[in-house]
Order: sequence, then structure tokens, then C-alpha cells
Amino acid sequence: MSSKSVIQAGRATAKKTISPETKQSILGLAMVLPSFAILLIVVIIPIVQSFILSLSNDAGGYDLSRYAYLFTDKGMRGNIVFTLRITAITCAAVLLVSYSLAIYMRFNQGPIVDLIRRTYMIPLFIPGVIATYGLINLLGNHGWLSRILETVGVTLPRIIFDEKGIIIANLWFNIPFTTMLLSSALAGIPSSVIESAKDVGVGRLRLFTRFIFPLSYKTFLVALTFVFMGVIGSFTAPFLIGANSPQMLGVSMQQVFSVFQEREQAAAIAFFSFLLCSVLGAFYIRSMAEEEKGKM
Amino acid sequence: MQLSVRELAKRYKTGDGVGGINIEIEKGELVTLLGPSGCGKTTVLRSIGGFLEPDSGDILIEGKSVIGLPPEKRPTSMVFQSYNLWSHMSVYDNLAFGLKIRKMPKAEIRGAVADALKLVRLSGFEKKYPAELSGGQQQRVALARSLLLNPAVLLLDEPFSALDAKLRHEMREELREIQTKTGLTMVFVTHDQEEALSLSDRIIVMNHGRIEQIAQPHQIYDEPASLYVAGFIGKMNFLEGVAEEGGIRIGSLVLPNGKELRGRVTAAIRPEDVQLSANHGTEGVLKGRVKQIMVLGHYAEVTVELAGYGIIRAFQSKEAMQRLQAGQEVGVSISKLTGFPVEEAKAN
Repeated sequence: MSSKSVIQAGRATAKKTISPETKQSILGLAMVLPSFAILLIVVIIPIVQSFILSLSNDAGGYDLSRYAYLFTDKGMRGNIVFTLRITAITCAAVLLVSYSLAIYMRFNQGPIVDLIRRTYMIPLFIPGVIATYGLINLLGNHGWLSRILETVGVTLPRIIFDEKGIIIANLWFNIPFTTMLLSSALAGIPSSVIESAKDVGVGRLRLFTRFIFPLSYKTFLVALTFVFMGVIGSFTAPFLIGANSPQMLGVSMQQVFSVFQEREQAAAIAFFSFLLCSVLGAFYIRSMAEEEKGKM
Repeated sequence: MQLSVRELAKRYKTGDGVGGINIEIEKGELVTLLGPSGCGKTTVLRSIGGFLEPDSGDILIEGKSVIGLPPEKRPTSMVFQSYNLWSHMSVYDNLAFGLKIRKMPKAEIRGAVADALKLVRLSGFEKKYPAELSGGQQQRVALARSLLLNPAVLLLDEPFSALDAKLRHEMREELREIQTKTGLTMVFVTHDQEEALSLSDRIIVMNHGRIEQIAQPHQIYDEPASLYVAGFIGKMNFLEGVAEEGGIRIGSLVLPNGKELRGRVTAAIRPEDVQLSANHGTEGVLKGRVKQIMVLGHYAEVTVELAGYGIIRAFQSKEAMQRLQAGQEVGVSISKLTGFPVEEAKAN
């Protein structure tokens, strides 16, 4: 056999060894690789680094003392409870307001609906710092709302530098996007489905509990996850509007890191915040998996 | 009277809508609202179902006005064009839901659902989800869901339009069978004249938001009340003629016409009422030339150009068709026609 024919035979053998399935797998991997690389560099490696850092103690060894501190220190424990309380109240309030707005816009028509539709997105276009200072000017002790109310003898309760201020700011930041998400989910429910439900005699409450909510539940969970993760890790509004104590975890983490310069403790707070978000993430994934399983 | 619609009117912002709608439907009747898209048939149906509030008029079901009542409070049930099964519920839940709302005991619900599924030939499908069913099966479930509620009037909004021709034909037969079995009063909306003719006890032909004619299928076909109905139902030839004392004259032909007409008229002639013969030179026969022969299975549609009158189409049997060829001169005779004033033709 000549050397040319040997090479050709070799090529033929090489061609045969890569099956279409393998080619598809390689292509699939190649497409996933860039996003996985970004995830690795931006999320996974920093988390692992933070976790390793958070395990180091003052004696130069490794233990869980930084995590123990989170639960034994009264101030830090207060911060965790405060953060969870603010997050829970915000999630409930945002979802309630956004769901109500989305339902109102979906099933009604007229000038009020048009007005809401045109204006509810405005907060998304105002930078967070500016919006927060705007709220301070509006709701602060010497803000203009307070001054107006003083003229009629009403004293505005403390809102700024209080948890009420943080919650109001959170509502401002989260309602537009959540409303948009839920509106699109509700728009996906055909009117005819609602009509057929009414046709069999379904009243308003049952229409919501048995049709509208189950058919938009998936987006509701997505919205809840977004709001929860956004609020639990929020910094700007709690930093500018919140009280000195208790603090939200984001503000506390910044203080521990920059003011007290305790990098290891800040890493422990960061990793703990990540764990809190992971709990909701796991709940979301489980719910979706169960729904998919139910369909099969 | 099971259903009475009196002077119903509904106008949309676009100017479309319906007006002067008067319908009386007896218990156990299957009445079809027939007309082209945008004629207002669905507006009438949705007004009866409570999905639209009319501007004026009244709707009475079993003698009681239902105006102002929401759909859930009306003794009606609707089968929608797009099936509208609830995708997050099984077939059983789709059917049982309305009965649960009516607080029917569980054991009775189970029995009723089983009976309804048997009626629509879907026994054993209880646990399936809508996504697992074919279009025809989904529409059967939708029909069963409405039947279970035992409505005073069952409304059907083009329920078979999304199905293929064969399935549509089967579903028509099934619906008629179910209607006969249950004795339900049904109002059926369709734009398909064949569907209307084959299903209905009576047909209401609508055009531009108004009722053109209410009659039994054979009357609609044989005695159209307007030129519009004549043209909308089945195939029809239109020729210009002159109304005289003895009837309507078209060339040397004079044919009787039941209506009192004078002057220029439009004569509506069914293709099956047109006869072709080799004899084209005698009195009482119009002279024509065969333009085209279209074989349509067991019969043929022959297009003939009439000297001075334009085109006329005739249905011919297989045997008669074999004696004809394109370009051949033929004699055209007409056995029956209906005359309409020329103004009506202009209005349409």
C-alpha cells in the first residue's frame, strides 16, 4: 500500500470515529462553555474564596467561629432578624400590590388602566440613589409631606431612618418590574379561559384561586425569587434610609468590611446571605421540577 | 318560548354591531346563526351568554329576562371555538368543576361525569390532561362540560371550525344525535352553510348586523327571502330579466315568479335548475356556448356563455356531461327562478 492510500485510509477511519451524536455533544458543550466560564469566574470562585476566607479564625486556623459569631452576637443576630423581617414584609407587600395592579390592568379598561399602564414603569428609569434622596426629601422629618401635614396639625410618624422607610423604598424599586412580570403572565391567560370558567358559574374569588393564580403561579414564584434576592442583598436604600441599628445584612457587611476591616467576618456574612438566597432558589427549582413532573 | 331575543342592539366603537334582532326559539330546537365574518352572529350569541351587554333590547330565557346578569348567573352554557379546556385540570376535573360549584354530592358528580363522557364517547379519559387529547377529543370534552350543566340554552360558537373536514362532519352528526337524545335547546353559530343546512331545525341568516331570513334549511335554500341569502347559500346564477304579468322574461324565456314585481329584476337561478340541450334554435330556449366543464365526482359543473346575458352555470349528470364539450353550442332552458328587484342587487 502506498503512503498516500495509507493516509486516506487513516482519514476515513478518523471520520468514522466521530459520530453525529458526539459532534452534537461537543457543539453543545462549546456553546455552554462561555456562560459557564463567566459563572465560574464571577460567581462560583468568589463564593468559594469567601467561604474559605470566612473559615479562617484570629489564631490563623480554620473553624466556624465567624458563623458562630453571627448567631451569638446580639447586634448581628438582630441584623439577621431585621433583614429577614424587612425581606418578608417587602415580598408580601410587593407581590400584593403588583398582583393587584396586574389583575386590574388585565381585566379592566378605561382611563385609570391607561394611566397605570403608562406610569408604573417610571421608577425603573430613576437611578436608585436619586430615588432614595427623593424619598428622604418627601418623607423625612423635615420633608415636604411633613411640612404640609404640620399645617393641618398632623405630625408625620418617623419613616426615614426607620424600617418603614426601607420598606417604602423597596416597594418603589420592586413594584414596577414585578408588575411587568405578572402582567405578562396574566396576558398569557386567554380571555376565553376566563370566560369559560365564568360560564360554568365560577365567581370572582374562585376565579382567582382556581384559574388566575394556578395559571400564573410559575411567574409568581419567579417574581418572589427576584424580589427576595434583590431585597436581601440590597444596599443603597438601607444604607441611606436605614437606622444605625439594627441594620440590613448588606449594610452590616459593608461596615464590618470597611469600618471594622474584618474581612473574614464580612465574608461570613456574605456567605450566609448567599445561603439564605439559595434556600429560596432551591424552593423555586423544586416547585418547577414538581410541576414538570405533574405534567408528565 | 325557551329563548326570546327582542329588538337587540349592540354597537361597537368601530360602528360595527347588530340592530333590530328579534329571535324566538322553541324548547328543543337547534337554531343556527349563519353569516360571513363580521355579520354580528357572535355578538348575538355572546349577548345571550352574558359575555356582552347589549345597548338595548331584551333577552328572555324561559320567560325571564337575563339582561344585566353575568354569565355565571345565566341558565346558559357556551361551547367555545377554541375548546377552552382548563389546561391545569384533568378531563375529570374539567367536567366536575361546574358541578362542584353547584354543590352536587361527590358520588353524583362521579356518575354524571361518567355519563357525560359516555355520551361523547370518551369513557376512560378521566385522568388525561387536555394537552394529551386531539382537537376532536378536546371539543367533545368541552361539549360534555357544557352538557353536564344542563343549561336551558346551549350556545355553540363555531365549535368545529378548528377541526379538519372529516372530523367536522363526524362531530356534526354526533352533536345532532346528542341534541336528539337530550332534547336541549341549542343556538349554533357558524359561517359554514353546509354545517348550518345539515344541522339545523331553523337557520337565521345574518348580514351587516341584521337578520336577512329566519326559516327551515330547505326554505332558505329554495325560497331565499333576499338576494343576499340567495347568493350566500349554495351556488347561484344571477341573470338580468324583466318582470311582466306572466312572470319574468329572460330573452325568449318567461318563467313564473311568486312575487309581485315589475320592471327590471335580477333572477336567481340554481345550477340544478338549468338544463342544457343540443337544441338551441327554438323558442323558449336561450342560446349559449359551453366554456368550461368541471368534473366534481358524480356530477359536473358546466359553464355556459349566454349570448347577451353573460355566464350561467349548470349541474349536469355524468351521462349528460359526456355529450358535451368545450366550444359546443347548446340550448339553455331554466325550470325555476326567484326574482328580486334590481335595487336589492345594488344594495348588496
